[in-house]
Amino acid sequence: MSVRVNPMFIDDLDRFGAEDVQLCYQCGDCSTVCPHADEVYKFPRKSMRLLQMGLEQKLETTLEPWLCYYCGQCSEQCPREADPGETMMSLRRWLISRYDFTGIARQFFKSRITEIIAIISIALLTGAFLLFYGLSGGNIHIYDGDGAFLPSPFIHKFDLSVGGILAVFLVLNAIRMWYFVMIKGTTFAVPWWLYITEIYQLPWHFLTQKRYSECERKREHKFYMPWIIHLGLMLGYVTMLVLVMVFIEQLQAGPEIRWQVHIFGYLATIGLITGTVYFIRSRFKKHYIQYKKSHGTDWVFVVLLFIIVLTGIAQHIFHRTGLYEWANITYVIHLMSVVPWLLRMPFSKWSHLIYRPLAMYLAAIRRDALVRQVTIINSNPVVVK
Amino acid sequence: MRTGVFFCQTDDNRNLNIDAIAKYSANLPEVETVQILRLKPLPEINFICHQIKTNNLERVVIAGDIPGYYKPVFTRAMALAGGNADEIRLASFQEHGARGENAMDRAKAIVACATMGVPFPLAAVPGGNPVNHATLIIGAGIAGIQSALEIANAGKQVFLVEQTGTIGGHMAMFDKTFPTLDCAACILTPKMVSVGQHEMIRLLTKSKVVAVSGKPGSYRVKIKQSARYVDVKSCIACNLCTEVCPVKVKSEFDAGISMRKAIYIPFPQAVPNAYLVDEKSCTYILSEGKKCGVCMKKCPKECINLNETDHTIDIEVGNIILATGYELLDVSKIEQYKYGIFPNVLTSIEFERLTNASGTTGGRIVTKTKRFNKKTEKDEWIFSPEGIPPRSVALIHCVGSRNKKYNPYCSRVCCMYSLKFAHLIKEKVPNVTVYEFYIDMRAFGKGYEEFAERIKQEGTFIVRGHSASVEMKDDQMVVRGEDIFNDKLVEFKVDMVVLAVGLIPSPGTEELSRMLGIQRDTDGWFSELDYNGSPTDTDKGGIYVAGMCQAPKDIPDTVAQAAAVAAGVLGSLTSGKGLGHMSSLTLSEIEAKAKTIHTI
Ligand SMILES: Cc1cc2nc3c(=O)[nH]c(=O)nc-3n(C[C@H](O)[C@H](O)[C@H](O)COP(=O)(O)OP(=O)(O)OC[C@H]3O[C@@H](n4cnc5c(N)ncnc54)[C@H](O)[C@@H]3O)c2cc1C
Ligand code: HEM
Ligand code: SF4
Ligand code: SF4
Repeated sequence: MSVRVNPMFIDDLDRFGAEDVQLCYQCGDCSTVCPHADEVYKFPRKSMRLLQMGLEQKLETTLEPWLCYYCGQCSEQCPREADPGETMMSLRRWLISRYDFTGIARQFFKSRITEIIAIISIALLTGAFLLFYGLSGGNIHIYDGDGAFLPSPFIHKFDLSVGGILAVFLVLNAIRMWYFVMIKGTTFAVPWWLYITEIYQLPWHFLTQKRYSECERKREHKFYMPWIIHLGLMLGYVTMLVLVMVFIEQLQAGPEIRWQVHIFGYLATIGLITGTVYFIRSRFKKHYIQYKKSHGTDWVFVVLLFIIVLTGIAQHIFHRTGLYEWANITYVIHLMSVVPWLLRMPFSKWSHLIYRPLAMYLAAIRRDALVRQVTIINSNPVVVK
Repeated sequence: MRTGVFFCQTDDNRNLNIDAIAKYSANLPEVETVQILRLKPLPEINFICHQIKTNNLERVVIAGDIPGYYKPVFTRAMALAGGNADEIRLASFQEHGARGENAMDRAKAIVACATMGVPFPLAAVPGGNPVNHATLIIGAGIAGIQSALEIANAGKQVFLVEQTGTIGGHMAMFDKTFPTLDCAACILTPKMVSVGQHEMIRLLTKSKVVAVSGKPGSYRVKIKQSARYVDVKSCIACNLCTEVCPVKVKSEFDAGISMRKAIYIPFPQAVPNAYLVDEKSCTYILSEGKKCGVCMKKCPKECINLNETDHTIDIEVGNIILATGYELLDVSKIEQYKYGIFPNVLTSIEFERLTNASGTTGGRIVTKTKRFNKKTEKDEWIFSPEGIPPRSVALIHCVGSRNKKYNPYCSRVCCMYSLKFAHLIKEKVPNVTVYEFYIDMRAFGKGYEEFAERIKQEGTFIVRGHSASVEMKDDQMVVRGEDIFNDKLVEFKVDMVVLAVGLIPSPGTEELSRMLGIQRDTDGWFSELDYNGSPTDTDKGGIYVAGMCQAPKDIPDTVAQAAAVAAGVLGSLTSGKGLGHMSSLTLSEIEAKAKTIHTI
């Protein structure tokens, strides 16, 4: 099988954040200290090598970037300061752009301006649409119930349709990922039932991010702050998503607080606010090595989420204190940030919420298949005489 | 000849003002164009070709730190333009040492010479000083010894200053040398003996240079000789004093793996072959004469005087040779190898002493044994001849070398001595497994590649990949790494780890460089005048560098350089004229000299 080499690939990846790959002299220190590298998936050195050799098509089919949880130990250790951790991060950005068939992700990652313009335009479009809708039928002084500026059944439909678009893109991209990895990148036979026996990996990794917690395994600290914080953020996020997509009508109903729904909202908010503040602060303080370098998209990601959380809280407070005009205005702003955020999702860093569990799932399937193959070979002695 | 000057300077770490140099070169005769190029990643061939054509250039000068790097581009451009590729001249700031006080003038002179097509070293020869016939050599490792013998054998006076109690330096600590596996002592000891006996060599051990003044050809040097407390001439090395001495400290000569007394001789073949007292641990000296002093009473020759004081010596010399060698980087700061935490993680020099037939275990390679120290009431790990030999040993290359956090440079001898270690272990320990972790095998010298091949054939597991961790798992040391050729993450159980620790300049280097005004390069080693042309001279007239103190190198290169230095010194003595300081040459002097060469 011939392999195509792209000598410019390494320069291309520069734009995704991997600036120091050329410095690597292949010592393997990074793979040695990586708490996640194992016998089947050895990284980051091998990924560095593929990159140096310009084997773009090979890299496209690898799972390794997703198996890295960016603890940064490799970069701390690297004698050449080639920053393998950041290289893995950049490869994830690049892979996201690869899985995305529209090519939009690529534009976002390569040019911050494009991304910001896209976000602002969608925000403005959303704002214009909502204002038009609200002003044409509703009353700015009413927040919930009859004559509301943005009535909850409408918002419900609106949410579901945005969510639907997002889901379509995500599913298509995830299928492409599966195709790259399991069809193009897997040369050995994979029995179909492994897809069933390993299926638990998906919810397990989605809900716990277990592997993230193992980031300190070799450093033997008690627990790993980013993981706990991220878990809170993620659980908060999913809770909020369910509330918004399913229970929006109860959520928005007033004036008294409906504890059976709202309690979840409050808990989720705590997770979200702690998470976003923590990550923004870390990116400023740079105290963990993984926050030393921030790609433009990293900032957009956390800051946008932070704005969403803030406007959500504000809108809720105004509603409950009876400042209905303000509640409506902040609601519009809130939705103006939510829609670009959701629509951007399949093209942005956030898509890791699908790719990461999927990667763990596929990795487990491939690992099982390989082990099976090795046992078959070992248990088939060739009798010569 | 119509000349174009192109500046290709990537980063300006030596405070060269390229704009000013460019302005200067614009006024040089026959220079048609001067340009400062943007270099990412390489200059454009077409652009340069166009420049050559439009300016009708017959000669092109590339100026910068590493102009040779850009030469291929210019050569192609010149060929495309139909010019003569021989007329591409390099003005290398780095090579010709444009640094320090008058770096700017030097850089200008380098460009001026290049525009005239005159090799810089031909034009820039400061000199003509009358020379004192005595020579000072600082440091008595193999480099200092070699230079001293060459000069003394030619009948000239040498002062050899050594800070420790014996000459020999590191080489005296080794058992075998690569790649020939010759016995190091067999080569070194005769040389040491002849240094000790030579009538033209005045050996000053336990001594340091404390002040230098004067000018090239006649330096006045103040040397502080610390008290030895034992009369070198009458000591017969009977060892009676050592037997009674109650104080025990780690032996420097044994790299700390064995103990010596406060009165001791570093090793039996030491030169001068006399005992000495370590004032930092002697009870009598520390208590200012109140306690102990038993050795004085015991000595049959009455040659111990614990009340002796330091004294200074003033000498005048014509030339000075720096041969201060190296030391090892402090590995305990590279935490992942657990040096100082796990007893059987050794540095290379400790291993040299362990495997040395005259060492504490008689050359047996064993792991450390636990022993209860009654004084400190703590367990301690020591080497004893009865120790258990290791079942497996890991040798790790590039520990702190080629590493941006420690030494960015290659220490140049570690690959080879690690291979030597692998051989020695295989030879001495039956059924042992040896793993050698390396990044790149640098077997560059004569017979070195063959040596490496031979070691591989002896059954050492040579792992292409560095190890980044030494850990303890259920009381068993394990070394982990990536075996890149076999595409495996490996974990080996080992009983001993030997770290090929990076080399750094010896501690006195900085002080000497300040005292003598010698530049040091970014890595801390003494800077030579011109890397290719005069690798043994320095900026300062009559001051030379030999051996490891200039840059890491092996023994053959050290000896060659030391002999080359001697040739330089002897040349100045026979001609009666020595080199002056490079800084004494003015820009106009170099220009004038270059012009005369140019017109010939
Ligand atoms: C573990 C190991 C194994 C090696 N094995 C080999 C081998 O097998 N073959 C080989 O070719 N090379 C080998 N080498 C390299 C070899 O050691 C060097 O090439 C050689 O010793 C350099 O000699 P030197 O005289 O320049 O320096 P040194 O041997 O370091 O001598 C310097 C001397 O100067 C003295 N000194 C330092 N500063 C001052 C001062 N300020 N004033 C007065 N005196 C001072 C020191 O006390 C010392 O005596 C090995 C190196 C190591 C680390
Ligand atoms: C709703 C779901 C999720 C949200 C909102 C979310 C949010 C975030 C945020 C904000 C960051 C960036 C922190 C920073 O700025 O550095 C992040 C990083 C990370 N997330 Fe998530 N996440 C989600 C799901 C997941 C899942 C399911 C996994 C794993 C199985 C995961 C693993 C990681 C890891 C390893 C990082 C750090 C490394 C990297 O940035 O690639 N996340 N996540
Ligand atoms: S540690 Fe650094 S130099 Fe070594 S293989 Fe990894 S990235 Fe390359
Ligand atoms: S950042 Fe951590 S998980 Fe990722 S490759 Fe480096 S060591 Fe492994």
